[in-house]
Amino acid sequence: MTTMLSTLRRRLSVLVTVAGLGALAGCSGVTYAETQLPTTPAPKPSSSAPAVPAATCTNATQSYDPLPSLPSRGDITDASMRRIISKGFITVGVSADTYLFGARNAFTGGIEGFDIDMARAVAKAIFGDPNKVQLRVITAGDRIPLLKDPDRPIDMVARNMSMTCGRWNDIGFSAEYYHSGQKVLVSKALPGAKDLGLADLKGKRVCAPTGTTSLTKLQEVKGPVVVTAGTHTGCLVLLQQGKADAITGDDTVLAGLAAQDPNTVVTSAKAITVEPYGLGLNKADVYLARYVNRVIADLEADGEWKTIYNRWLAGPLGPAPAPPTPVYGR
Amino acid sequence: MSAPTTNIPVAIPAGASSGAPARQAPRTIAGSLSGGIPGARGVASRLLHGTPGRMRLFGLLGVLAAVLLGAISVNALLASQSAVERAANNSAQVVRNQSIHVDLLRADAVATNAFLVGGLESPESRASYEGAMGRVASGIAEAAAAQPADGNALGVLAERVQTYAALVEQARSNNRLGLPVGAQYLTQASAGLRADAIPIVTQVVKANEDRAKKEFDRSNSSLQLLVGLVSLIGLVALAVWLAKRTHRYLNPSLTGAIALLLVALFVTATVITGVGSAARDVSNGNYQRAVALANVTTAANDARANESLTLIRRGSGASNEQAWVADRNTVDATLATLNDSATLQDQWGEYVDAHVEVRSLDNGGRWDDAVKLSTSTADGGAAKTFGTFDVSVTQARDSAGKATVTTLEELGGAAPLIAVVVALAALVASWLIIRGVGQRIEEYR
Repeated sequence: MTTMLSTLRRRLSVLVTVAGLGALAGCSGVTYAETQLPTTPAPKPSSSAPAVPAATCTNATQSYDPLPSLPSRGDITDASMRRIISKGFITVGVSADTYLFGARNAFTGGIEGFDIDMARAVAKAIFGDPNKVQLRVITAGDRIPLLKDPDRPIDMVARNMSMTCGRWNDIGFSAEYYHSGQKVLVSKALPGAKDLGLADLKGKRVCAPTGTTSLTKLQEVKGPVVVTAGTHTGCLVLLQQGKADAITGDDTVLAGLAAQDPNTVVTSAKAITVEPYGLGLNKADVYLARYVNRVIADLEADGEWKTIYNRWLAGPLGPAPAPPTPVYGR
Repeated sequence: MSAPTTNIPVAIPAGASSGAPARQAPRTIAGSLSGGIPGARGVASRLLHGTPGRMRLFGLLGVLAAVLLGAISVNALLASQSAVERAANNSAQVVRNQSIHVDLLRADAVATNAFLVGGLESPESRASYEGAMGRVASGIAEAAAAQPADGNALGVLAERVQTYAALVEQARSNNRLGLPVGAQYLTQASAGLRADAIPIVTQVVKANEDRAKKEFDRSNSSLQLLVGLVSLIGLVALAVWLAKRTHRYLNPSLTGAIALLLVALFVTATVITGVGSAARDVSNGNYQRAVALANVTTAANDARANESLTLIRRGSGASNEQAWVADRNTVDATLATLNDSATLQDQWGEYVDAHVEVRSLDNGGRWDDAVKLSTSTADGGAAKTFGTFDVSVTQARDSAGKATVTTLEELGGAAPLIAVVVALAALVASWLIIRGVGQRIEEYR
């Protein structure tokens, strides 16, 4: 019997060992599923909207007659201007990254340029103080929606805005205060870079900011692949990152971009458009437009326009030409 | 298994009738059926035949029950302990990844704010940015080592963070040259950080929160002990059967075994429920507090970055201000649910006041003054009030996170020792059962 018992015992000890091992194995058996990456929705293909045929007319630069002289603040009865006066400052939509026209000074943090000086001149006329201006940084695509907004988030746009027949349907303009034209900036790496025109850039990726006449024009040209960004500087970033080969825009803007990147060049190809810049206004603000036209006319008459031009553009573009001839009578 | 019961003549005591059919079976058939190992089968059959055979069989079952009870208890104890340990690890991983989240937003807030001031950034703000990015880098490495399941996601995160850092440096060098394209790079960096990097951190945090929660639930594995209880009942039934069969009511060895196992089971159950409820306390206490405070810290730093971006975008930052408001609501709501958060609420309130003043200055056309207030480190300035809050809330979060991990690590500490004692008790009980049943078999002959 003792032998049987000892056999039993031996078997039991084996059993205990097995059970013990099983128990230990049960403890360390937790493994976790791999952490999943968040699913990002596939980017919608940016619809390169077919170019809408531009509205045609012969008087795109024609604005309203200027006031005979600047009235004093107290004498102004126009509702829109009274609102601005009681607010204490004029809100102007500007660019903060169009070098030389409206750009943030990285050292002072202030926004400065040709367009900004135009805005300040209007503020100075109304309030006697060029600083009574609230600069609101907007993209090119923001310009018309913000001007049309009935809540009047901005009173004026000074942001290298071309006067076109189509835009006159939505908003109002001052008289032309600067004369520009659309050109192309390319990477110097492209063969024959200096002389390339838009039509030569077949299959190349050409960038233009959304909501600009430059983009409309670019879409009309057959050959280039259209790439868009929020601003011209956004286009420069794309070019520097190798996501675009060229940028098209107004020569002034391109000069500002070329100044920031010595690897790019504004080509010598002739400007493909004429871009008359006007200050954008709400369509209903005819009185304000006439007021602003008086301010511009005075700036051009007393030489201040040339001073502003030389301050910003004499370096890259040479000394100031004669100011554009205003067309009135709308 | 339907092997023939037996063909070996064993002394059958009177009254044991169950072996009767087997007795009639001819030896030869059984012999041929038992296959190639007649010896082993023969021994087993002989051992299990008749009342002593049943005693042996039930004794064996009793031993198995004791071993099962021991094994289950040991398993439950070790499972509880390792669940608590894993809960601690997962909690630590949650805290680690939340720190990465906060530091990314902190770096971005510093970078955007430095940009806002204009000119060259101050050495302090550069150091602060580099400190935050350094912590992000080492944090990602630590987190990847701590949880292999996060490795892939953290790898992608590291890649995105690198892209962010590269864009910030590009923004910085362009900014040093006074080129407006720098601002564009910074905008791209901030937008990319929020769109591409932050969602990954959020995902990793969430995965580890889920893991921690599962382990908190697993830490109370007392359900397993029901099996032990059934074993114990089986042993009591054995004792009762033995008593009836032998008319000897008390078998000291067997009774001792049952008492020993009862105590072992009770101790195990007590320890496990203790660990489980303590873990639940941590889960609802310090752990939840650490998670909540981390959410406050991230929301606050996101708000601060949005304040800068609103100013940088000069009037077109409405969406950033909306994000600020959403962040503020998160901070307010979360702080309200926490104990001892009065100081934090006051400090946050001071920053909110400063921010409201910044917004009213900017909306009133005084952008320059708004920037001055937003970057001011004087009393009442947004930079100062925010800094104070950020330091306090980070300290509070760190201490809650540390308390969570240390408490959890201490919780299961005694469990392995108790498991060894319970295992020994089960072995001793097995021996006692064998002894007790063996004694009765001896007496029976």
